Amino acid sequence: MKRALYVALNEVRLYIRDKGDLAFGMLLPIVTFALMYGAFGGHTLFEATAPIVDEDGGPYAARLVAQLEAVPGIDIDRLTAAQADTRLERSDLQLVLYIPAGFSDALAAGEPAQLVFRQRGNGGQEGQILASIIRGVAGDIDREFRVHRQVAAGLAGAAVPADRIAVTVQELLDRERRQPAVAVAEEVVGGSPDFINQFLPGIVVMYVLFSLTLSARVIVEERKRGTLERLLTTRLSVGGLYFGKFMSSVFRGFIQTFILLGLSYIVFRFFTPVSFLAALVVAFVFAAAAAALGMIIASIARSEDGAAWIGVVFTMTMVMLGGTFFQVAEGSVLDTIGKISIITYGREALGTIIAGSGTLGDTVFQLTVLAGVAVVGLVISRLIFRAVPGGK
Amino acid sequence: MAEEFLVVKDLHKSFNEHKAVNGVSFAIEKGEIFGLLGPNGAGKTTTIRMLSTVLEPDSGEVVIGGHSIRQEPEAVRSIIGVCPQELALYEDLSALDNMVFFGRMAGLNGQEARAQAMQHLELMGLVERARGRVSRFSGGMKRRINLAIALMGTPRLLFLDEPTVGIDPQSRNNIYETIRGLRDRGMTILYTTHYMEEADRLCRRVAIMDAGQIITLDTPRQLKSQIGSPDQVTLEDVFLKLTGRSLRD
Repeated sequence: MKRALYVALNEVRLYIRDKGDLAFGMLLPIVTFALMYGAFGGHTLFEATAPIVDEDGGPYAARLVAQLEAVPGIDIDRLTAAQADTRLERSDLQLVLYIPAGFSDALAAGEPAQLVFRQRGNGGQEGQILASIIRGVAGDIDREFRVHRQVAAGLAGAAVPADRIAVTVQELLDRERRQPAVAVAEEVVGGSPDFINQFLPGIVVMYVLFSLTLSARVIVEERKRGTLERLLTTRLSVGGLYFGKFMSSVFRGFIQTFILLGLSYIVFRFFTPVSFLAALVVAFVFAAAAAALGMIIASIARSEDGAAWIGVVFTMTMVMLGGTFFQVAEGSVLDTIGKISIITYGREALGTIIAGSGTLGDTVFQLTVLAGVAVVGLVISRLIFRAVPGGK
Repeated sequence: MAEEFLVVKDLHKSFNEHKAVNGVSFAIEKGEIFGLLGPNGAGKTTTIRMLSTVLEPDSGEVVIGGHSIRQEPEAVRSIIGVCPQELALYEDLSALDNMVFFGRMAGLNGQEARAQAMQHLELMGLVERARGRVSRFSGGMKRRINLAIALMGTPRLLFLDEPTVGIDPQSRNNIYETIRGLRDRGMTILYTTHYMEEADRLCRRVAIMDAGQIITLDTPRQLKSQIGSPDQVTLEDVFLKLTGRSLRD
């Protein structure tokens, strides 16, 4: 066992020294993650542009626009009335906020003022969210006006200058805004079932399966450089050699998964600490299953090219059948055929933990299948493995 | 009579219809350098692969240091070292890493493996390149590392399969000196080579193989005396007379 561990460590050392393998195995998942982050990373916050036509141009209109601009994720696009009408007609915009002329004057005079939304249909989903945010900001301004007016009315005749009342009330309102009586906190307890949650599990296990191609080459490479036969003249048993190679393959697959899951944890906040550990357990068992299949290919292949080709064909078949890039309808023919792909079980188990907020207990079936593949694959590969034709 | 460390009796090995080794028998005394010569395809390497437990013989018996290769292959592997004909190294690793790894495989702990590795690297004149990547070594340096690895674990029987192929005279001389030094320390060595002069200088006894069989076995001087004056004929003359001049490849 000790010598098998040295074989595994040696294999890992060789892997680290081989820049090509290292780039394929470690950097590619990071690049993929960066692409996923670029595509989906900023979408945890609602982001939109609010088209505004300011026909008033007064101080209260400016204040409304400034407060809208201060809302996280909201950008302001100032348009003229003509521009807004044209773009609304072309359906380039779904909703526009008009601040009519006289808005500031009306407010200054203590009279009701009005904002106008012009929209196509119901304004679309984004338009409705924008309208809701604008109503909220307008409501805040309205409440502050009411406070100002009521305080001014209450102090009427108390010989307090109007500008002093205005400044003091504004200071108090600002303080209240910073320290609201009712605060709302956000706690993320797991991912939502959006696009990335649906496909991340498949992408993660797909990478591990790709490393199967590298695993398939380990025996062939050892044979090619002559060290396989040399090792067989040492105290290392054939079983020890085999198990060492298997362990190094598991390690390689697991590290790849760890990188992808770790980045997801840090950046997308998909996990709680417990669900992250559960995902790592799934990743480890999946890596063992993939490594065992890699060892079967390693036992069959007689050349590096042969190992690579068998590995690629096998991997791509498993990836397609496993529903990595598209959702397979339950009960369909593809769903039935997909049961032969280990990707299916790895994806389901990781998906249960990532998107479904499940526990390891919910993935017992998938983990049992994957562990079974690992054990049976290792036994089969060892039985068909011949280090030397006519020999061990 | 000196103690026989390796005894081979009626060894056979066939690959399909081809008899690679056909009834080979010989014995090597403890502390002896024994030469196994023969043209390409004579069966030398197949014999060594069987003696080093890589290949299973079809029939015959081999006992090394009192252990049968059939019944106690693990015990045999714990007392042998093999320097294969082709380089068998991890070229992406340093010389030291290669030696420590094979030292571990030979049963040494980390500290012992490191100490032995440095000792053998010094013997081979490669201490200063211990941490150099093997892929950057010259052919001669790689050959010396190939031999040094076989010494890890201090084997009692060393198989050297053409260890001086394709290297310069300086490296070859270094290897000769190393081999003599090992013999002086009591190591038993089975040596194959195509260089007859090398076998003449190093080996106490020589067996010449052809077509899977040993066709003669004696000291170089006795073999030479079979065809003329030992001072005037060479071992190569004997070799060519016994194996013929026709090309084998």
